[in-house]
Amino acid sequence: MAHPLLSPEGGATHLLLGNEAIVRGALEAGIQVVTCYPGTPSSEVPDTFYRISPDGKFKFEYSANEKVALEVGGGASMSGAMTLTTMKHVGVNVAADPLLTLAYTGTPGGLMLLSADDPGCHSSQNEQDNRYYGRLAGLPVFEPATAQEAKDMARDGLLLSKKHETPLLLRTTTRVNHLRGPVEFGPMPDPGKPEGFKRNPSKFVPIPAFARPMHERLLERIEALREEAENSPYNTIHGTGTIGIAASGISRAYLADAIMETGLADKFKIMELGFAHPLPRNMALDFMKSVDKVIVIEELEPILENDLRVLAQKNGLDLSIEGKDLLPPNGEFTVTMVANVLRAQVGEKTFACDSCIPAELPQRPPNLCAGCPHRATYFAARKVFGDDAVYSSDIGCYTLGLLPPLSMADFLVCMGSSISAGCGAAMANDKPVVAFIGDSTFFHSGLTGLASAVFNNHDVLLVILDNHTTAMTGHQPHPGVEMTILGENENRLDIAKACEGLGVTNIRKVNPLNQKKTRAALEELREMSGVRVLIAREPCPLHSRRVYKKVAPMVAYVADSCTGRAECLDTLACPAFYKEGDKAAINPILCNGCMLCLQVCKHIKSKKRGS
Amino acid sequence: MSNTKPIRIMLTGVGGQGTLTATTLLAKAVLAEGLPVTSGEIHGMAQRGGVVESTVLIGCKSPKIGLGEADVLLGFEPLETMRAMPYLRKDGLVLSSTEFLPPLSVAMGKQENVSIDQVKEVVAQCTGNSFYLPCQSLGLEAGAVQAGNLALLGALTATDAVPVSPQTLAETIKANLPAKIVDVNLKALELGVGALENT
Repeated sequence: MAHPLLSPEGGATHLLLGNEAIVRGALEAGIQVVTCYPGTPSSEVPDTFYRISPDGKFKFEYSANEKVALEVGGGASMSGAMTLTTMKHVGVNVAADPLLTLAYTGTPGGLMLLSADDPGCHSSQNEQDNRYYGRLAGLPVFEPATAQEAKDMARDGLLLSKKHETPLLLRTTTRVNHLRGPVEFGPMPDPGKPEGFKRNPSKFVPIPAFARPMHERLLERIEALREEAENSPYNTIHGTGTIGIAASGISRAYLADAIMETGLADKFKIMELGFAHPLPRNMALDFMKSVDKVIVIEELEPILENDLRVLAQKNGLDLSIEGKDLLPPNGEFTVTMVANVLRAQVGEKTFACDSCIPAELPQRPPNLCAGCPHRATYFAARKVFGDDAVYSSDIGCYTLGLLPPLSMADFLVCMGSSISAGCGAAMANDKPVVAFIGDSTFFHSGLTGLASAVFNNHDVLLVILDNHTTAMTGHQPHPGVEMTILGENENRLDIAKACEGLGVTNIRKVNPLNQKKTRAALEELREMSGVRVLIAREPCPLHSRRVYKKVAPMVAYVADSCTGRAECLDTLACPAFYKEGDKAAINPILCNGCMLCLQVCKHIKSKKRGS
Repeated sequence: MSNTKPIRIMLTGVGGQGTLTATTLLAKAVLAEGLPVTSGEIHGMAQRGGVVESTVLIGCKSPKIGLGEADVLLGFEPLETMRAMPYLRKDGLVLSSTEFLPPLSVAMGKQENVSIDQVKEVVAQCTGNSFYLPCQSLGLEAGAVQAGNLALLGALTATDAVPVSPQTLAETIKANLPAKIVDVNLKALELGVGALENT
């Protein structure tokens, strides 16, 4: 049976994740090409497309990084294919180069870019507000607040994008991507074949002579899109009060609940913008003229607030516009937070929770899994280099090696930065520099940094942690994987050969679960200079279970001879270990059977699983 | 939407416990009762043995629960119940497992865990409305430790705090879980309902 998301009929209502709703919306628009680089909170969009791809009528790919994903998407759309490209907010930084120029050339088949922003840094290194990219590139921006809107806006955004031949930004935030709500399906038409490329260099080749008129056309297009925003059903004004409230994105959901909670509906007139850029100026102006003041409710940057302020000033309106004076420019909002702003506006007492003081409790930070091969690599590196090295880290599961006792991350910038930032550290330090990068991240943006490191003859040891998958975001495939949930990877790239091709001469390959050989290789590489690479290859145990259907037959246990020094507990931090009295013990249910601990302490032995 | 009295349910547990499965089942059961529902979850790093927090909201538009907003707190692990207490409104309902999954620092003997009595004491300061169940044991009794999450959900449907009946939850389990684990989960549901009725 085909997946319910592929049902051609409309009418049914399903409880969907925001990300699944986006998939359905794209299918209802007639999506033909989907490209992506996975990243939380965007990942379930491409992962869902991937799972249904054997039965779907669209073409799908996991691209090597976000820039590639958007360029592939741009080429497809310029050839008439309706296209969706997905990534998390920081991914748009990587893809910013093609994005700003695709806005010039236009995208005839339609091209929607999903940017999944992360206020509150639930799984990200920053809180950047990508609505700025919409302004910077000159794109229409849609901001859904519910699962139904995520579906409808994905569909309507793609259709609008095709109509105006412009890329469109679907800007979500974590709460929207990962909420679940009822979604009523519309019909899903057969997408047919893309129209194919129509040659027109003055439209598609932005040499300066062509780019100047392209910019003019982009500015004209923004005005046409402003007309669309004026008439969009996603932009509404409701309520009767004299105090105005303007809101966009998920803040509209918090506002709706806050109005219900406070019972102050008759005090406020509300302008909700779901199609927030370009600003529907006439609508906003009428709204501002009908109220005494305006409060802007938007998470992160004061973007709508400043838009309104400019509009008011230009039109000589003398009314106060507040937003970031009342609500923070960082983190997420809550219903109570918004409700308190409403209460304060009408002179009511604000709500404070007296039972809301968090207790001091043992923390439960995420940790490398039991049996994770990265722990073995880190353990060996700590034995060889100790505190006498600078450790350059990168983005992935292995960033969790930051925590003691492994303590294997001294600095981190972004995807692919471990090698290049490591090179910089090597220029400024006498200590050896050891950089760590995962296999997926290596293909994402490690290759270029490595080429540059070789060319500039930096003194750096790069350890490539190859666990055969993109583990952190949910086991997506990348160019180096052997197996995926859909079968074997027939076009596998070999990391060692890639390094060789980039000019690295000292390359060693080890299985990190073999501590002796791993340490020997690290010691050997430590004595050399220039760019050196150690490839530590062993699949992620979760991936192994899921894709190779493999579970290690043996588990470790602590023998009665244990002397209770508990060095294994103090240095390995394996989640399968615990302390029992003075001695260490191993939970056989959690043990993944990697047998690293047997190489750490002679009192740890192995036995058959279940025995 | 505004005709339904809003009810906010916060769920918390440890990665791997089935907190998110329980969240989805509860949200689907609410929908099956014909009520407006929205639910939220935070993924990502939590998959690596960290804390998982999720929400089910009836009659609300937002998927998030802020401090002091939850009408109900479901704790699949007692330390996490205690950690999530600030989300509960005064006199809200708490349903919690009594069985600990110690975090690494505790397992390694570096930090001392709270006791179940300390958890109960903190809960009692905020509400007199609380129930405790040995969820893992009930799950094992039903046939699988992971089914303990359904015992806790079952207990919730046996209270009058949510407009979801045990029958609707049972139908939701049958319609949404793989056939081979349906019976175990139905048994856990029954044990959870029974445990609450016997308190």
